[in-house]
Amino acid sequence: MNVIVVGAGLAGLTAATGLSAAGVHVTVLEARDRVGGRTHGIEVAPGRWVDAGAAYLGVRHTELISMLTGLGLRTMSTDMVGASRFDIGDGLRTVDGRFPPLNAIALGTMFDALDEVTRLVDVNEPWRTPGADVLDRLTVDRWAAQEIDHPDAATFLPLFLGEMMAADPAAVSVLHMAFYLRSGGGLRYLNAFEGGAQESRVDGGAHQISERLAAQLPHPVRLNEPVTAIHTDDNGVVVHSASGAHRADAVIVAIPPALADRIEFTPRLPQSRTSAHTARGSALKIQLVYPTPLWREHGLSGWSISADGPLLSTVDDTPAGGSPGVLTGFVTGAEAHRFSALPADEQRAVAVAQASHVFPFLGEPVACHITDWLNDPFSVGCYAALFGPGDWTRHGPRLTTASGRVHWAGTETSTEYFGLMEGAIRSGQRVVSEVLTAHDSRSLVSELA
Amino acid sequence: MNANDIVDIFRRILETNDIDVDSDFFQLGGDSLTATRILSAVARRTGTELTFDDFMAAPTPGSLSEKLACVTV
Repeated sequence: MNVIVVGAGLAGLTAATGLSAAGVHVTVLEARDRVGGRTHGIEVAPGRWVDAGAAYLGVRHTELISMLTGLGLRTMSTDMVGASRFDIGDGLRTVDGRFPPLNAIALGTMFDALDEVTRLVDVNEPWRTPGADVLDRLTVDRWAAQEIDHPDAATFLPLFLGEMMAADPAAVSVLHMAFYLRSGGGLRYLNAFEGGAQESRVDGGAHQISERLAAQLPHPVRLNEPVTAIHTDDNGVVVHSASGAHRADAVIVAIPPALADRIEFTPRLPQSRTSAHTARGSALKIQLVYPTPLWREHGLSGWSISADGPLLSTVDDTPAGGSPGVLTGFVTGAEAHRFSALPADEQRAVAVAQASHVFPFLGEPVACHITDWLNDPFSVGCYAALFGPGDWTRHGPRLTTASGRVHWAGTETSTEYFGLMEGAIRSGQRVVSEVLTAHDSRSLVSELA
Repeated sequence: MNANDIVDIFRRILETNDIDVDSDFFQLGGDSLTATRILSAVARRTGTELTFDDFMAAPTPGSLSEKLACVTV
């Protein structure tokens, strides 16, 4: 059997690895000049890498952890020592721990409301959630206007959703928010560093996972091969990419749903994979590089939250070994749209100025890396597609449904850990068994004939 | 609100029954997010608004009920 995989991110490479191991001839077509998709490494000093894309994992990410073990990669703790800085409410402050200086009871009431709707959702089939039609029509900002009355909670909700799912509350349905939080393990797990989904990162960078998977494939990944069309006939599929037409028994489309919708399918798919309401995951990641993590000498962890942005939060991302000092800033949600519209030199100036405002002892960084996922043509957003009003009801039921020889993978097709590396890997594993079951006997017949 | 009422709140929010009046919230895996939900539940039941720092200083059902008694008297 011959299978083409479109997309050399974690989902596509997991699928390619699994199928190759089962004796299938696999060709991977990748639009970029690199593998890794929404993971991407930046070398901030010789041999020292940071994650410009997906970075974090926790113990519940069992498939990712076993993959790391198999590839000989190690994790490192994200443990934070020291106090946090908050530019929120009454101005800049240093506070022990990660809890913002806001009204705790107001935040507790907000988290109760989030927890309640998160528990309600049917995580495997969100469109079957009791009251799904209402929850799918309502955007989170309108829901919050009804549910949240304290200004501190109103301040914190966009920061929280930005951090959890790179979403502007106006862009996502309540059903998608509830689904996302539940899929990731619930409010508490998804939010936590220690004991949660941000407990560790990959030592040396998460991009190594895809690089090592690709290196182990029998046939090299074909880079710079954006796929434009997929035609299905009685004998198989023909996939058109930059270099020409590729024939196979089946194709796995392992790219974000908005990009899949740009491929011309014949016959036409019964339904598109996104709507006009589907939004791009709204995140930019900024890495400010300093000779040393100077904040540690001031008793600070590097963790900060600033309500006015553009760096809504910062975290110490210094590589193992302790140098150079890397402060990673997250620009998410509505702020990501504003920031990404600025010219590059202004983005840099604003980011550096904010870092020096929050951490006044910081001088000019030795480097500033800005990764704009929102406008990346081969990701169209990060962490993941944001399902807007009506999307789950309309597109949800068919997210994983193959159309004949066309199969789907990608973190957006996983109801477990949707939007995370773990979800991408699980989707790749799911599609391997799907393809083997659906096409193996057929291809045997054609080989015998 | 006595210590046993607070034990019930801990059990509900931390999703475990393995809690008594001397159980330390943070040793049980509670974090700041979960702590705000405890404070919110206490405020709803008693009308007393404790701060995050109050809770850090009294993180067991027993000590928290004593703190509440001091504040409400």
